[in-house]
Amino acid sequence: MEKSAILLGSEAIAHGVKLCRPQVISAYPITPQTHIIETLSEMVDRGELESQYIKVESEMSAIAAVLGSVSAGSRSFTASSSQGLAMMHELLHWYAGARLPLVLVNANRALGAPWNIWSDQSDSFSQRDTGWLQIYCETSQEALDTIIMAYKASEQLMLPIMVMIDGFILSHTMERLMIPAQEMVDDFLPPYKAPYQLDPGNPLTFGGAAQPDLFYELKKAYSATMQEALGLIDQVQTEFARKFERHYSAVMHCQEGDKNSDTAIICCGAMTGTARVAVENLSQTEIAVDLFKLRLLRPFPTTDLAAALKGKKRVIVLNRACSYGVGGTLSQEIRTALYHLPDRPIINDVMISLGGKEVFPETISDIIKNREQLSETECNWL
Amino acid sequence: MNNLKYISAIRNGDFTGLPIAGSSTAVNMTGNWKFFRPLLKPKKAPCFEACPLHIGISDYIKEFAAGNHLAALEILRLSNPMPAITGRVCPNFCQSACNRTDFDEALQIGNLERALGDFGLDHPHPGNDKDENKTAAIIGSGPAGLAAAIFLTRAGVKVTIFEQNTAPGGLLRYGIPAYRLPRPILDQEIDNIIESYKIELKCNHRIESAQLKKLTAEYDVLIAAPGLSRSSIPAQWPDIPKIKGALDLLAAISRNETIPGQNFVIIGGGNAALDTARSLKRLGKTVKIIYRRTRAEMPAYPDEIMEALEEGLQIQEEVVVAKVAGTGDALNLDLHHSRKDGKQITAGDFLETITCDFLIAATGQESGTDFKDYSPELLPAGDFAHGAASVAEALASGRKAAESALEKFGLLADYPVSNQTTEESAPITCTQLHLNYYVKKPAGKTPQLEAAARNKNFSEVNLSLTLDQLADEAERCFHCGSCTTCGICWFFCPDVAIAINHDSHEAESPILFDYDHCKGCGQCAEVCPRGVIEMEEDL
Repeated sequence: MEKSAILLGSEAIAHGVKLCRPQVISAYPITPQTHIIETLSEMVDRGELESQYIKVESEMSAIAAVLGSVSAGSRSFTASSSQGLAMMHELLHWYAGARLPLVLVNANRALGAPWNIWSDQSDSFSQRDTGWLQIYCETSQEALDTIIMAYKASEQLMLPIMVMIDGFILSHTMERLMIPAQEMVDDFLPPYKAPYQLDPGNPLTFGGAAQPDLFYELKKAYSATMQEALGLIDQVQTEFARKFERHYSAVMHCQEGDKNSDTAIICCGAMTGTARVAVENLSQTEIAVDLFKLRLLRPFPTTDLAAALKGKKRVIVLNRACSYGVGGTLSQEIRTALYHLPDRPIINDVMISLGGKEVFPETISDIIKNREQLSETECNWL
Repeated sequence: MNNLKYISAIRNGDFTGLPIAGSSTAVNMTGNWKFFRPLLKPKKAPCFEACPLHIGISDYIKEFAAGNHLAALEILRLSNPMPAITGRVCPNFCQSACNRTDFDEALQIGNLERALGDFGLDHPHPGNDKDENKTAAIIGSGPAGLAAAIFLTRAGVKVTIFEQNTAPGGLLRYGIPAYRLPRPILDQEIDNIIESYKIELKCNHRIESAQLKKLTAEYDVLIAAPGLSRSSIPAQWPDIPKIKGALDLLAAISRNETIPGQNFVIIGGGNAALDTARSLKRLGKTVKIIYRRTRAEMPAYPDEIMEALEEGLQIQEEVVVAKVAGTGDALNLDLHHSRKDGKQITAGDFLETITCDFLIAATGQESGTDFKDYSPELLPAGDFAHGAASVAEALASGRKAAESALEKFGLLADYPVSNQTTEESAPITCTQLHLNYYVKKPAGKTPQLEAAARNKNFSEVNLSLTLDQLADEAERCFHCGSCTTCGICWFFCPDVAIAINHDSHEAESPILFDYDHCKGCGQCAEVCPRGVIEMEEDL
């Protein structure tokens, strides 16, 4: 039976992972991810979770360990954050190129210098081009559910998926949520069957050298699989909704938004919750705006987004990661997706927060109220 | 690289474009990128180097730890044919050099040797049926004479030993007390040797210098190992029966003779002084040692000094006997403080006059023979050749004499030696090892008879540990500079370019490097716990 619980975001994620029965877990602790893997290691220690927990000395080793365990045909898990994720960078590319499934949870946190442990999305946005799928979650419930869906999609696609939560904002706050029943998850997510695996009895070469033409072909195939992933993720989310009655999609319209408004706000992650309050409050003062959250960053749901924002005159993008010298990273993604529309909207690129700078509902409503003053070409810093 | 065939379609799934190839990457000769290549370079262990006999200690301990006690014994006997004896009386030069000392505590090699030696008492030597039609005469059946006999017979030489005493062993029997070397052990070890190697032993057969010429004519080689069987008595002391040499007294005790007198003073600080004192105490005598320097300067083995003190032996330090006067039944000794006069010690201020029944000199040893103008064909060995030294050094000296003879006979080539490297190089030090791979573990120390119980009889002071009790101790050996096929290099090699040859025969390398794929990164050399792998430039 599905049961209700009040859990820390980190614990919710650990429960989500546990329900997926990973056979190998390897991770290195880093604030604010630490509670996730601590909770998992306790579950393993108590015998509640039958899994090999591999202790390592760095994030580089953690990702390398699961690269090995998944190559050997096991379902595995790792988690990191910030500098830890950056340390994995080289192997994130390799992992994706190797076409192996995995779910990695990243607790979004700023990258130094200067030293900062609070939340922004610089760490995962920096890994946009590694070939990993990226999903951003608004709530702990969403994160828990996304992990279950991510394993299913990852193993069907043979592609690794990174699931993002906001450090502290989600990881260290409590939420009332539903924990799905194990039998239902087992039914939804069958054990992983690797099409190929490390086997001394059947030696194969994994990721060995490829000549230029072959390399190109493999990357072309990779890109095509990423496009197929959009459809598959839709399917998985639909199937999940049918079974667990919680609905998710790549681009989600927020009910607080006014569909008829020609101005839309778009953001990703837990800040969507703050934006919901801001938009609702504004509707009392007769300023109507629409609101969307982007769950899927890679592969980018270009068609869905264009359809969702069709007819809007202005799209305000709330960024929490910066590509210095250009502007908000999320804004670039939105611009690219909307460029082909015949009546493309104004894009207001807003750098709303970095390194945990607090975002209140008023911060967002002030931006909306002063939208006419926002630059249409430059990045808008507060 | 062109041969690397990627799988274009997957048999049991819908995936395409997975970077998985059905052929091996071995076609990629990545080894040609390297500038360095790893080599297996075994090094001398410090124990091997320190041992006068150069016993392949690491080799026999490998077998010991694996439970192959007979194989261990065979390796040990290759260099040291009497481990039950040396396991008791050797000061363990090996242990003093052990690299483990810098980590926790030296490996108790002496205990391992002794246990194997005792095990060997029931396992005769393989002997030798070769007959090279050569003969050797050996004077003396002490450790040097016996060692010379063993190493000669192993090469097929027929040996006759001439022993002046009624039983073989030399100082082992007539110098070392039974509480250090129990006689049943001594007898069994020597009997095994005499029988296994078919040595002709002629006891009660003293050779005078006049007979040497005849012997050199009768035998192909003559080895003289008569030892230093007499204690030298200071010239200024009167020549009276109440003054005796320590070795004479020890010999008499060994023969179970009745020792007259009650009150003994022993002069000297070496093993002979302590052995005599401790033996006399066991016979119920009152004993005092007088030594001209401090206790720390005594040449006796530290363990023996410690044991003697535990037994309540009195040692008067920095005192010399300036005058000895006999008065009827007793001796009067004038004791003076010793005075350092450069390196010399002379009598300083008068201290006291004491009386005793017997004065025992343990201040030096001399030969009991008059082999002065022996012919160049005579090979000297043992204490007679190099002066008073340890049993291990005597054995080494006997072996060396045997090897000289064998060289002369042209028989040295197929003579078995310990297979530890004998290359001229310094032994491996603790800093060359990778200590992170070792766990600190207390040493397997020998239990001792309680001090109070020792003075009553000649029971062995150091008690035995069984082979099983020493299994953990054998595991403590670092095997410095010697490959144990532990597999750490194999584990760390990022190019799967190392194979462990577990069934390595002596001639084959236990580690096989695949130089076609080794990139010369050097991780194997870096992680080797025993410092065996070295990187060499490869251009």
